Amino acid sequence: MSEVIIKAENISKVFRLGTIGSGALRQDLRLWWDRYVLKKKNTFFQMYNEESITDTHLWALKNVSFEINEGEVYGFIGRNGAGKSTLLKILSRIIKPTKGTIHGRGKISSLLEVGTGFHLDLSGRENIYISGYMLGMKKQEINSKLDEIIEFSGIEKFIETPVKRYSSGMYVRLAFAVAAHLEPDILIVDEVLAVGDIEFQKKCLGKMKDVSREKGRTIIFVSHNMQAISSLCQKSIWLQKGSVIANGDTQTVVNSYLSAYQHKVLKQEWEIGNAPGNENIKVLSVKLIPEFEDASDVIDIRTPLTVSFRFQNSSDLKMVVSIQLFSVSEECIFDIATKPSSFETGIIEGELMIPGNFLNDGAYYLSIDFMNESYESLFYFSECLHFEVEDYRENTKYFGKWMGSVRPHFPLTLKQCGKEFLKV
Amino acid sequence: MPEKINWEWEIKPQTSWFGTNFRELYAYKDLLFRLVRKEFLLRYQQTILGPLWVLIQPVLTVFVFVVVFNRVIKVPIPDIPPPLFYLSGITLWTLFSDLFSGTSSTFSANVEVFNKVYFPRLIAPLSVTFLHCFRFLIQLSLLMIVLLFYYFTGKIEVDFLRMFWMIPAVIICIGFGLGGGLIFSILTAKYRDLANVLGMIISMLMFICPIFYSMVTVTSSVHWLAYINPLTPLFELFRYAVFGIGKFTGMQILYSCLCMFLMLGYGILLFNKKGDQLIDVL
Repeated sequence: MSEVIIKAENISKVFRLGTIGSGALRQDLRLWWDRYVLKKKNTFFQMYNEESITDTHLWALKNVSFEINEGEVYGFIGRNGAGKSTLLKILSRIIKPTKGTIHGRGKISSLLEVGTGFHLDLSGRENIYISGYMLGMKKQEINSKLDEIIEFSGIEKFIETPVKRYSSGMYVRLAFAVAAHLEPDILIVDEVLAVGDIEFQKKCLGKMKDVSREKGRTIIFVSHNMQAISSLCQKSIWLQKGSVIANGDTQTVVNSYLSAYQHKVLKQEWEIGNAPGNENIKVLSVKLIPEFEDASDVIDIRTPLTVSFRFQNSSDLKMVVSIQLFSVSEECIFDIATKPSSFETGIIEGELMIPGNFLNDGAYYLSIDFMNESYESLFYFSECLHFEVEDYRENTKYFGKWMGSVRPHFPLTLKQCGKEFLKV
Repeated sequence: MPEKINWEWEIKPQTSWFGTNFRELYAYKDLLFRLVRKEFLLRYQQTILGPLWVLIQPVLTVFVFVVVFNRVIKVPIPDIPPPLFYLSGITLWTLFSDLFSGTSSTFSANVEVFNKVYFPRLIAPLSVTFLHCFRFLIQLSLLMIVLLFYYFTGKIEVDFLRMFWMIPAVIICIGFGLGGGLIFSILTAKYRDLANVLGMIISMLMFICPIFYSMVTVTSSVHWLAYINPLTPLFELFRYAVFGIGKFTGMQILYSCLCMFLMLGYGILLFNKKGDQLIDVL
């Protein structure tokens, strides 16, 4: 049984929102005035204790506890804004938690970005040293691994060139080469693999796997890429809005995560009394209407879809409505907006046609943003529809996952231009 | 079974005033010197004259001072060749002002790195300190060359043993520059407005330091302003070390020393305590 290497207890983090910086001096002066001149209690900290956090404060993490054993590869998953990055920053000692403690053993290195500490005007060699030291390497360590690092990056020829002259691919290679040669007890990796070409990503994933397997190193890995999480991590934590939803075996966690976001919601309707919205907008219904050719009831990539929605408009401003479609991995596929146009108050109906043979197979969700003329949001109806598009193929013998977010039928043709061979 | 595990580190909400300990700083010494090297390379690698700029700056300033303060408005100075007199003041002032303004931008210059990786934050201002000390040594050698030139042409007497008085003057000066810079690095990061004030403070400070005048010859009714400035005795001590003319008392040096320790101590504590919280906001 391996030992616990990190133990986090009730980690919470509060951020102050709003116009930090510009108002800070005034705010602080007022605080000081209240405290020392008017002898009031510190209102800011009082709020913490009562846990009545208002609009100006955000709980990025709420009582997060977990234990990580030595040699485990742990994945953190969750939507954007779930608190993953905040948690990583706390673990890497960049920011302090508002509450709670973390105990741990061994040296931590964190890769929260590609090329930590890189400076564009310096040569590759110089940057290897700076980045290496910042990530916690020792002098002998870098000296002895320098050749290896340069070889791994595959840019031997350009090692004395300032990195600003590198292509972005070369830059990433060099940066990851440094990172890959770190030898901490605990390695923290945030989505670094999202960049770089596929070949290199594979190389990096492979390197990470080797490191954890052979050297028994603990790795904490954050990614949106469920594929990568599943293949790398034994255990995972699913964070949502700052709290742990699930913690345990990766397959179980990933499955429950995916199914939570893959439930289908094709139709939602409300009475005016409980309609979602605010004083400006009240949404009465949102529907996804597939246009089936035959009786089959599955949406596949050929099915034309219609998004239709009704809402009550209580302001006579000019307005813009935009529909945003996201894939389950939170990539925005499109964001289509109406022209600014004025309406009388009352019921308004909207419709968007998504043609068949446009979306790739996969799970999608859809959000509607109601905005005023200057594109300020009046009401953002997030994730009001969820649906899945099934695969459909003909005339192909390829059965792997079809790449891309969309799969339109743009004409791509080949034609024979001649029958002779060109002479060598 | 509550087994006891030997934790090696702990992350908790509060930061102690002492923050990083010396051992941790020492562990990052390689980073420190790389950062010094980086700054030096960045400043001079793509310039034609390269590191020569370290010397051109004081030479040009001396030239301006000779023209303005000696020829045009005729500020009285002791019986020392004016270029040597001005150069001595400028050399020490450059050390202080560069250090002060350099370390005070610690947060604005390093936000991106501070946001992505942990290392003892004090490393950043320390690397600036080392850089300017290095530049000071180069400029000091220029001062020595000028001094020797006047020595060999018989214009001035030089006592080489007396030169060692330079060391306390320089060290206290570094303490002031770093201490003030640390305090201002927190203030300017928190309240952006103060960044604009900083330049003004430095240029006003210059006038109450005996750089283009000497306490020996000053005859103004407001010279108490220069006396309450704890930097003043340092310039006088420095000049005394270089060519034996300076007006200061032991008490003044002690006052200066005390102010320096207070400022540096407060600077380091404030930097450690507030630095962590600032990252949230930046």
